Amino acid sequence: MGLYVLTYACALVFVLAMGLRIRRPIALPVHVRWELYPVRHETAERVAYGGSYLEALNWWERPDKRSLWNELKYMAPEILLMRGLWKENRRLWWVSFPFHFGLYLMVAAFGLLLLHALLALGGAPALADGHPLGRLLDGLIVLAGWSGLILGNIGCLGLFYRRLADPELRDYASFADYFNLGFIFLFFLCAFAAGLGDPSLAGARAHTLGLLTAGSALEASIPGPSAAGAAAVVLASLLTAYIPLTHMSHMVMKYFFYHSVKWDDAPNRRGGKIEAAVRENLGLRPTWQARHVGADGRKSWREIAASEPGEMK
Amino acid sequence: MRTRLAPADISRPSDRLSHIEAGDLAPLPSPYEDFNATAIPPLKPEKVRHIETSLDDTVALAIPRPASPEEEEARVRQFLSGLKKLFEKENNWTFLQPLLLSMEHCAKCQTCADACPVFEMSGRKEIYRPIFRAEVLRRIYRKYLRPGGKIASRLTGDIDLNWTAIARLAELSYRCTLCRRCAAACPIGVDNGLIAHEIRKLFSQEMGIAPKEIHDKGSIQHLKVGSSTGMKPPGAKDSVEFIQEEMREITGWKVDVPWDVEGAEILLIHNAGEMLAWPDNVGAFAVIFQAAGVSWTMSSEAAGYDVVNYGLWYDDVQFSRVAVRHADITRRLKVKKIVIGECGHAHKALTVVADRLLTGDLNVPRESALVTLADIVLSGKLRFDPRRNDFPVTLHDPCNVVRSMGIVAPQRRILEKIAPRFREMTPHGVENYCCGGGSGFALMSGHNFADWRNRVSSRKKFMQILAAFENEPAEVPKYVCAPCSNCKGAIRDLIGHYHAEERSRLYYGGLVELIVNAMADMKKPIIRFGDEPSWKA
Ligand code: SF4
Ligand code: SF4
Repeated sequence: MGLYVLTYACALVFVLAMGLRIRRPIALPVHVRWELYPVRHETAERVAYGGSYLEALNWWERPDKRSLWNELKYMAPEILLMRGLWKENRRLWWVSFPFHFGLYLMVAAFGLLLLHALLALGGAPALADGHPLGRLLDGLIVLAGWSGLILGNIGCLGLFYRRLADPELRDYASFADYFNLGFIFLFFLCAFAAGLGDPSLAGARAHTLGLLTAGSALEASIPGPSAAGAAAVVLASLLTAYIPLTHMSHMVMKYFFYHSVKWDDAPNRRGGKIEAAVRENLGLRPTWQARHVGADGRKSWREIAASEPGEMK
Repeated sequence: MRTRLAPADISRPSDRLSHIEAGDLAPLPSPYEDFNATAIPPLKPEKVRHIETSLDDTVALAIPRPASPEEEEARVRQFLSGLKKLFEKENNWTFLQPLLLSMEHCAKCQTCADACPVFEMSGRKEIYRPIFRAEVLRRIYRKYLRPGGKIASRLTGDIDLNWTAIARLAELSYRCTLCRRCAAACPIGVDNGLIAHEIRKLFSQEMGIAPKEIHDKGSIQHLKVGSSTGMKPPGAKDSVEFIQEEMREITGWKVDVPWDVEGAEILLIHNAGEMLAWPDNVGAFAVIFQAAGVSWTMSSEAAGYDVVNYGLWYDDVQFSRVAVRHADITRRLKVKKIVIGECGHAHKALTVVADRLLTGDLNVPRESALVTLADIVLSGKLRFDPRRNDFPVTLHDPCNVVRSMGIVAPQRRILEKIAPRFREMTPHGVENYCCGGGSGFALMSGHNFADWRNRVSSRKKFMQILAAFENEPAEVPKYVCAPCSNCKGAIRDLIGHYHAEERSRLYYGGLVELIVNAMADMKKPIIRFGDEPSWKA
């Protein structure tokens, strides 16, 4: 039961911390445009060379043509396969990709385990002995689980090696960086060791079922997890809570980097939402101290922008 | 033992944190090998006695040394107060979200390092590594402004804060051209150029520290007299009058520059530096617009004839003031749109960044001259004889126009039509390299800063230009087309510094000059290679 409680608590921390992380950029005021081309929601022809709608004569007379779908189409392989790193830093990709993909596969395996547990609780006939759908699900769990474990372990070792062997990486690595990597590696190692004693991952299926029912649905005949299995559960739970508290949340926050900064080229149209947000921002009252600014905490950005620098007064 | 510098070293006092020896810089090809053995000329001790010079081989800011430990402490407090403001919406709504994202999510993977021309060309000097300055700021922020920072910094990367670190960080923010090549390469999207920009803002907006060329003689002068060149409205009109005469000789017909025409289709605003340093550029625009029958005007109101906005590089407040001036002048002239002349940073400032600053009728339509020109050139309104441009041409892409705005194709469509021997640099377009004069560097030349620029930040561009022409005989004149005033300034200095006119017959100029040079009904060429006309009348 203790393991379940720990997992529940960590999941709660994850949801809260991730929620706060995501809420923060959304709650911030609209910022000035600072896009970086290629902007991926442009037309395919323009994306090919990094062009923008600003290349059109009288661009403001044309309708906005941006597509979130185009963004997502680019972003999904970017996040999953790390296309940018492949292009810009292939040496690192060879170790960073297995590491990240290993983690994604672990998340995928957990998703499949949850699905399996839900079906089991609902008494789905698909899970009856020998049913092809049940076998497919079992197969997918094993495939995602094992490939994730193998890639994750390789990735961790590779990243450790690169951080230690490459002086450019080593000089900038802090204790926290090694700790984070060590933490994840320990999880992959324990999970791998647990898997060796249970190659079909039956223990993981049982544990997930227990997770959904606080242990009450488990038959007494199913043994508890092995020591390695218990350690893997503890580490996975702690990791789930820890990641959103650190820069490792970049896997999710990358969406904001792209969508809200690099590709945020939405023009400010008169009477539109952006204009309303800008008007609000212009009412804020800065307190910068340099003489030319002329701020006193009472004057707004609007007033200051319309005033002359201190030097001229 | 570690021999390379680390971010924490920034606060360890020494005469000079980093130094480039002769031979450290990336080697130049023939016939420029002689420059490989020379170092950046040292600062003159008698000139720098009272200013902070402990970062590297040059100075951009010339910050006076504090007179006492108390003054040092006061400045450290001032710095921290400014740093705090960078993270407050009242003070920094303009960039808060991008800044926070970049501050919190760097994975220290060093992918950006290979993308940075300053770092690469310097011989990979640690202080110029894109994340070096970002990491310094990040550590100070975490340790001194975040709760529990003093303890957490032991785990996440420690740093001590003192006046030495602050003075060096200020200088270091002026060793990055804000070209954002690193940001384009970062797999996460972290923008080290933005972090340099924010550091500059902190120093300018809180502590009043900025290079005099871009503040006192730049944005302040712009607002005071009407132009950062110091040129007042009557001076601008005089220059243009002289330019009209010059153009008459070239075209054989009377060229008129209309001033202050209410309701015109286009208000053309140049970088006023063109009127003084490259008057043919201003003239060529007039020739093209007149020949194409465009309804256009220039403004003789203070700031209305100078499109620069140096605030883009260092100060949001100055930026806002200038942008509002430009928009206000346009609104009162009741023109349909502003067309921005060949000035890269003004393109980005007025079109993109100011877009979320101008509201209501201040939000006037703004267009790049490259777009307007492509429309004219491809419309068939002008007759061309491209054989007149029968010399090798390459194109420099201003970072602000390509990477920051996505205007890549129009200038190429023009060149395809009028420059038969055009060839690209490698890489180009959104992956281009900065001219090395970006973010104000082209204007900054105090002490030995111009030497540093020519040898370090502009070096990659020089190598790219040489590579673009490598199959051309040395005696053939070659044209580097740079549709941006500051880029032209940097390229002019490069050519002078390396004697490239004598050694490789390198010349440079804008895009409009190439257009006019290829117009079939011109009496004389507008482009000359030294004393030699580019075509015979
Ligand atoms: S800024 Fe980006 S590319 Fe550079 S080290 Fe950080 S994460 Fe890597
Ligand atoms: S913005 Fe350009 S010069 Fe500055 S660190 Fe990045 S790549 Fe280097």
